[in-house]
Amino acid sequence: MQSANLAPPSPQPGALIAHGLNLSFGGIEVLKGVDLDLRPGLVTGLIGPNGAGKTSLFNCLTGLYRPTAGRIALGDTGLDALSPARRAGLGMVRSFQHMALSPDLTLLENVMTGLTLSRRSGWASAFLPLPGGRAETQDAQRRAMAALDELGIAAAAHLAPPELPPGTQRLGEIARALVAHPRVLLLDEPAAGLNAVETRDLTRALRRVMHPGLIMVVVEHDMDLIMQLCDRIYVLNFGKVIACGSPAAVQADPEVLRVYLGADDE
Amino acid sequence: MDSSRKQQVAVSELVHPKGAIRSPARPLPELRNLRTWASLLVVAVLAVLPALSGSFLLYSLSLCFANALAVLSVSVLVRYGGEVSIGHSFFVALGAYSVAILEKHFGLGLWISLPAALALGFVAGLLFAIPSRRMSGIYLAVASMALALCLPELLIHMERWTGGFEGLYISRDLVPGVSKAGQRYYLALAALVLVCLALAHFRGSRQGMALLLARAHPRAAEAFGITRSWARISIFALSATLASLSGAVLAFASSTVSPNSFTLWSGIFYLVGSVIGLQGTSLIAALIGGGVITLIPQYLASAGDYVPILYGAALLIVTLVANSGSGLRRFLPGKAA
Repeated sequence: MQSANLAPPSPQPGALIAHGLNLSFGGIEVLKGVDLDLRPGLVTGLIGPNGAGKTSLFNCLTGLYRPTAGRIALGDTGLDALSPARRAGLGMVRSFQHMALSPDLTLLENVMTGLTLSRRSGWASAFLPLPGGRAETQDAQRRAMAALDELGIAAAAHLAPPELPPGTQRLGEIARALVAHPRVLLLDEPAAGLNAVETRDLTRALRRVMHPGLIMVVVEHDMDLIMQLCDRIYVLNFGKVIACGSPAAVQADPEVLRVYLGADDE
Repeated sequence: MDSSRKQQVAVSELVHPKGAIRSPARPLPELRNLRTWASLLVVAVLAVLPALSGSFLLYSLSLCFANALAVLSVSVLVRYGGEVSIGHSFFVALGAYSVAILEKHFGLGLWISLPAALALGFVAGLLFAIPSRRMSGIYLAVASMALALCLPELLIHMERWTGGFEGLYISRDLVPGVSKAGQRYYLALAALVLVCLALAHFRGSRQGMALLLARAHPRAAEAFGITRSWARISIFALSATLASLSGAVLAFASSTVSPNSFTLWSGIFYLVGSVIGLQGTSLIAALIGGGVITLIPQYLASAGDYVPILYGAALLIVTLVANSGSGLRRFLPGKAA
């Protein structure tokens, strides 16, 4: 079971590395010395029982929480002092557990908001139909449409999110996250609220959009999705990484089995 | 599972005042066409009206247009910022007094004072928004109320500039040689139509869409580089600029400014107008809102104290119908085309 070894992060160009992360809330230690090595071209899953610290770890990566100790870096860039918006500027995007599309925008327009950082048109173009602004908007529409098409939901482009089933909304969120070609995609329970068919479609779509330059991180309860999607899995329990490795290796790890199935074999 | 989801939605609609009046992202195409035609028809009728009607009606309508602009400034804040202000009379007064003071003390006409009013409104919006950018909901509304409350005192105190209780008159023409009533009417109409066109374009712009996302899901917006501070400061500056424009137009159209026109009640009435227009940023929504708050007090002047009661009734009716969930609200104005 060499999979259970907690290998120290080895430097790799462009990887998202966390080293010795600690996080505590008022004396309660939520994360204790977590090391992560998230590599481009791999889908990494973060799993663990309720309260294991998955969401806290996720929020440290996205910048919502500041770890009490430890470092996070994307490639050569230290992220510790950067806000979520600044991390977005470095090509880190995330999805949300609860649907987070604007009900006032069509699905296509929601995806276009994912391009906000790469768009330059000024306030004059916001109020006047100037040629530069129009060209940029058309380009953004084209790119957003391509992202929807890649996820297989182009037909819903002009509908409002409240009119769409949860599975389509979720795919729309992923299209919005991917439209600007990020380096890191962090998915917070992407299958939450989806039925089995939708979860299967989502898994396929995520596999399809994966490419060698992308770091994909998934926090998820749905084991089918995790096992089918991930190349590498970190298992957390009580704020510590207890196992790390391929899906098969993690599934066979006695410590993981004990945590998930209980200690009734003892 | 399904029913619990539905329940969640229903509860969030109840507790989330910003979502209280909600329409689909884009109305049906045929309905949009209908609205475009209706707006064109309204503009055409309003454009030829001066040839047909008396000057009192034109005067009333110019005030309607100016107030419609003020209503729009509040609607923009509600729709894109998810916030409510009851102190917009402050920014309206700023625009109105800019025009009056620049004429009285510096002899400058509207060609200069109107852009100056816009610039001042923008700066004042920034100055209010930057320190208050972390406030929201009732706290922001109360902070804006403080602006409106201090305003009449300020105007009276600075009597040398503002003319105190009596206020100031505006008499310079925009275009010499054209009838006064005509100038006032067409300036107000043109300002309103141009602002509505600009706002319709704004809805599909990078900034407009970013603001709509930030209103619905601030955290998601932040994840795409749209910070809350940027969203709040931008929308407030925009809204204050519009309010200031409405003040400048109001001053020109009514030829007079005085502290009485800019009390806390005016700020509340702008909000009433905005709700009655379903917080829409279209021409028709703005005209309905502006029309109600201008014409009701004018034509029911004898009713006096009953005016606020009428407003209350109108608010109740609009809110109930808009939230009835029936197909009725599809036909109400209230969405930027």
